Amino acid sequence: MSVTLLKTVFKKNWTLLLIFFCILMMYMSVMVSMYDPNDMEALTSMLKLFPANLMKAMGFSKMVTDLTGYLASWLYGLLMLGFPMVYCIILGNRLVAKMVDDSSFAYLLSTPNSRVKIIITQGFYALVSIMLLFAGLFTSGIIICSVMFPGMLDIGAFFRLNLTTMLVNMAVMMISFFFSCLFNDTKLSLGFGSGFPIVFLLMNMLGGVSKDSEILKKLSIYGFYDPVDLVHGSEILGVNLFYIGIIAVLFVSGILIFNKKRLPL
Amino acid sequence: MINVRGLTLKYPSGKGVFELDFSVKKGQVMGYLGPNGAGKTTTIRALLGFMKPNSGTCSIGGLDCSKSAPEIKKALGYIPGEIAFLDGMNGDEFLKFMHDMRGTKDLSRQKQLLEMFELDPKGKIKKFSKGMKQKLGIITAFMHNPDVLILDEPTSGLDPLMQSRFVELILNEKNKGKTILMSSHVFDEVEKTCDNVLIIKDGRIVKQSDVQTLKNSQRKGFEIKPADAASALIILKAAGFQVSLVAGGILEVFVTGENVDRFIKTAAQFSILNFDIKTQSIEDIFMQFYGKEGK
Repeated sequence: MSVTLLKTVFKKNWTLLLIFFCILMMYMSVMVSMYDPNDMEALTSMLKLFPANLMKAMGFSKMVTDLTGYLASWLYGLLMLGFPMVYCIILGNRLVAKMVDDSSFAYLLSTPNSRVKIIITQGFYALVSIMLLFAGLFTSGIIICSVMFPGMLDIGAFFRLNLTTMLVNMAVMMISFFFSCLFNDTKLSLGFGSGFPIVFLLMNMLGGVSKDSEILKKLSIYGFYDPVDLVHGSEILGVNLFYIGIIAVLFVSGILIFNKKRLPL
Repeated sequence: MINVRGLTLKYPSGKGVFELDFSVKKGQVMGYLGPNGAGKTTTIRALLGFMKPNSGTCSIGGLDCSKSAPEIKKALGYIPGEIAFLDGMNGDEFLKFMHDMRGTKDLSRQKQLLEMFELDPKGKIKKFSKGMKQKLGIITAFMHNPDVLILDEPTSGLDPLMQSRFVELILNEKNKGKTILMSSHVFDEVEKTCDNVLIIKDGRIVKQSDVQTLKNSQRKGFEIKPADAASALIILKAAGFQVSLVAGGILEVFVTGENVDRFIKTAAQFSILNFDIKTQSIEDIFMQFYGKEGK
């Protein structure tokens, strides 16, 4: 890994990270402020106004009353997948394919650094930035909840929730990153790098609607991700290892492909 | 220093370079010429290890260009044909970044070069003019004192003054024993700096020669207006010169380099009213190879 490059990549991309962090922070504070521990009934009855299937698709199927479960369902069911996904698509493409497409990658390779070293640095930043994002969200979640509802957030469960959600998003990041390594053309990199995650997210939403369509969710990358079960103490080690496996496989194949391929620089 | 043997690099479109064989010795400057799309940049891609050849080998300083790419880059300067700097950087930031990536610390050469090319690297590169970007590219390629330089159209976008500064720089580097491969369309600059030239067309080398021999092989054209065109024609023909009568009693004579002296002495036998040398330059030699029907 090249520290010089990492610093430069960080300098170039931290604003993108900050923007997404702020958006998610905003949603988080709105969601927390809407929580009313004494009147979850009101919320539930409001939900009944919407078509049941729509609510299921949005991941609000399970009725929960505790603050942590509420956040898992309302915030982590969709928003914490959808928004970071956009971030992953943009950043994944930026880190490799865009620089190959506009030829600026030539300058990185004109220095005594191997392709592998450069790509590992780029991928490392991709993963670390997701980690920073969720570390930030975890911390601010604790702060927001302790200000508005002191003592009501189950910090252990909230940590587990953020850890697995982080891994899921890292897997999505690596999908975009993989296609960014595979293609020399931004159009293809963006097309596949956004196509797969978007289709997976739609499969996840449709899969929540009914028992018949549940298979769709299972087949998507979100198949093992159930935020409400996560906070209510379901087995997480297997799920986490599954996502770590996906991350590793995609990262390594991205590196191998990039190392071998012809670069039109 | 630079060694290319049987290099073939094909694109899916069928274009590419085929069976290239050439070498550039230490301390030599090799001009690499050819029309657009002939394969100059493709050759350079192979030399920099961006693309692995289908067959054949290329090496720099004895190291294979694909396998030892990072090792080679320690002592290599490169100017891309289409310079694209990293997004959103300042000029001085970029120079520092390149130093850090290379692990070089000595800034003295960079300072000299900035003065030589009168470049102030402050400010966003995006806002730089084409010429300023080119200067920044030149400085980036030379600032770490590399032994080998691969330059893809290094002077495009430079004004004439800066072009001549660049020629100065190349001659200077040559004296220091640097090995240079330079693709160019500016014949004048090639003529001034290069020891050898390599001409490529449709992916194959059509001519490889040193500049002096190339110049000698070029026939020179003279236009003379003798007082008596008819008899002058006979005299010249008898002496074996290729001569033809053009309009207005003017004779056009083509003479190869080594026969100039004999031609002048032959022409001294008759009186001449006017004498013109057809504008000749190395350009004409190259043009033969650029055209469709060039050999």
